[in-house]
Amino acid sequence: MKETPLSNCERRFLLRAIEEKKRLDGRQTYDYRNIKISFGTDYGCCIVELGKTRVLGQVSCELVSPKLNRATEGILFFNLELSQMAAPAFEPGRQSDLLVKLNRLLERCLRNSKCIDTESLCVVAGEKVWQIRVDLHLLNHDGNIIDAASIAAIVALSHFRRPDVSVQGDEVTLYTPEERDPVPLSIHHMPICVSFAFFQQGTYLLVDPNEREERVMDGLLVIAMNKHREICTIQSSGGIMLLKDQVLRCSKIAGVKVAEITELIQKALENDQKVRKEGGKFGFAESIANQRITAFKMEKAPIDTSDVEEKAEEIIAEAEPPSEVVSKPVLWTTGTAQIGEGIENFWGDLEDSGKEDEDEGGSDEAIILDSIKMDTGVEVTNIGSQDAPIVLSDSEEEEMIILEPDKNPKKIRTQTISAKQEKATNQVKKPVKKRKKKRAAN
Amino acid sequence: MAMEMRLPVARKRLSESLGRESKKHLVVPGDTITTDTGFMRGHGTYMGEEKLIASVAGSVERVNKLICVKALKTRYNGEVGDIVVGRITEVQQKRWKVETNSRLDSVLLLSSMNLPGGELRRRSAEDELAMRGFLQEGDLISAEVQAVFSDGAVSLHTRSLKYGKLGQGVLVQVSPSLVKRQKTHFHDLPCGASVILGNNGFIWIYPTPEHKEEDAGGFIANLEPVSLADREVISRLRNCIISLVTQRMMLYDTSILYCYEASLPHQIKDILKPEIMEEIVMETRQRLLEQEG
Repeated sequence: MKETPLSNCERRFLLRAIEEKKRLDGRQTYDYRNIKISFGTDYGCCIVELGKTRVLGQVSCELVSPKLNRATEGILFFNLELSQMAAPAFEPGRQSDLLVKLNRLLERCLRNSKCIDTESLCVVAGEKVWQIRVDLHLLNHDGNIIDAASIAAIVALSHFRRPDVSVQGDEVTLYTPEERDPVPLSIHHMPICVSFAFFQQGTYLLVDPNEREERVMDGLLVIAMNKHREICTIQSSGGIMLLKDQVLRCSKIAGVKVAEITELIQKALENDQKVRKEGGKFGFAESIANQRITAFKMEKAPIDTSDVEEKAEEIIAEAEPPSEVVSKPVLWTTGTAQIGEGIENFWGDLEDSGKEDEDEGGSDEAIILDSIKMDTGVEVTNIGSQDAPIVLSDSEEEEMIILEPDKNPKKIRTQTISAKQEKATNQVKKPVKKRKKKRAAN
Repeated sequence: MAMEMRLPVARKRLSESLGRESKKHLVVPGDTITTDTGFMRGHGTYMGEEKLIASVAGSVERVNKLICVKALKTRYNGEVGDIVVGRITEVQQKRWKVETNSRLDSVLLLSSMNLPGGELRRRSAEDELAMRGFLQEGDLISAEVQAVFSDGAVSLHTRSLKYGKLGQGVLVQVSPSLVKRQKTHFHDLPCGASVILGNNGFIWIYPTPEHKEEDAGGFIANLEPVSLADREVISRLRNCIISLVTQRMMLYDTSILYCYEASLPHQIKDILKPEIMEEIVMETRQRLLEQEG
């Protein structure tokens, strides 16, 4: 299936947000997403989750004859596959460009850096060597495949144990895992790729772009480094011009990030080792949580609310001042108190103001919230009309009628306009809000 | 800052007692439609073991001797005369590729496009070079289906002043089977906005233009800021359309208008809550039934 094109307004929104140093998921410019590493029951099988991007890595080994020009070295074979479940755009014949690029980068990162000691993979020189095969499958694509894949590859290789072999003279004995414990591979260092996405011709840079950010980026710089700050591979794609100091800065950032990630990897490997030794449960069934559709669980999203206060002040400053609300209750007798004085009685001029109501359809709804305290009085009348007749006097009455609590237990609300309120309405120049009496129409 | 929290609630089944005259014959892929071999096979069916079997999930439609299954969730299948709203994905030699939610990208030929100024002449090489000035990747257009190729790809044309590039507005993407086929798909709703109901499921809501621009030919995008009142009407319409879609109601100008009016007592953002959606659509449905019968 072809990818749905990104709309112009979404593209503009993403670029504007990046200009204001905001990312959609709340990360900072140099932040990585959460990296989660889980191991399977077999040695050499792992799943790495970088945010929502998931890569499955599996290492296997086989005894083969070596290459003719490298008779004393083992063979390494890397393969990254973009499975169709990763993204709708990945189809069996379709993703060749991206696939070739990722595979090539992975090979350069892992093979050319000589992180695995291939000499130690030799069993009988010229006849039998170990062929180590690393298969990586992309399970979900949410951006930055190369980072996740490189982490998965190196973790799987570090986790893997090959069967033990002993050579006595001409005899080669291959021990099964039951006879002798399998032996880990000899890994010199862990090269890890760090991706930098550039926007607006190199003005803005983001580490670990997610899928949306990748769609709008101008160029990508990938630096593969190990924790000893040795650069294994650098690749710049997208055709942007990068300045020397930009590349140097990126390499410094990459150094910091790689140190963090390597520490994470070591911890994960140690944990798994401990669990296996203690005889506890290990494997994907334990480490990957059940994701049920019917259960509600969300990860904490870091949200920056520091500028919320400023904006709220702007809104309050521009809004009209709320009308006066008398908050003190006035106690007339025991059991009867009055809070506020209600608003004017509009029932007389409903027909005239019907047309005006339609014009004001688009009026601010924010201010209605302020006057809800006053309007609840009118609500009561509408609901109350179902159980008892309510005496709603016109503005003729001047005095207030106080009901004795024992005579009339029902709440009957009288609406009066006293002299005080008339003065108040005259002073407040703003037009009184006319609510639409939708309920009354029913 | 006030926050609203709601707990998950089981969704109620759509009540089936509201005005369905005849029960539709619904099938899923693999269901037998009929064992009678006298019928002709239409779309969505295939013959297997002397039975007519459905290959898509939908409702069975019978016209005399032709049986076909109309799928409910499907990509847009073009038919001549349909109005579609699409997005330009590629600019090629002498044509544009338009994404219209169908299996293949639709094609808009340069010769099917009106030149600015309405002149009628053969398109020259300069026109070809200036194509990007008319429509670029990412632009939205409204067009009509001129022809359907044998592989199902659709050829569009904008040979009328009412079609062309779309300016400011909101696009809602729904399933094509929910848009009712009517005489006209361009509606100026009395609530203050206009809507284009594309047959391909792309619905475009935009502020009603003040005066009809005859000479522009639909290429000059009006980029003046839209007023707050218009924006509120458009957002409310968009939320109403979303609520109609979740309740699987057919979309046409009357249903959208009734839904808009039913939603007026609520705040715009409240319309998206499931309970209020059900309430509004129930009211709309009742009003539509009253209007019919």
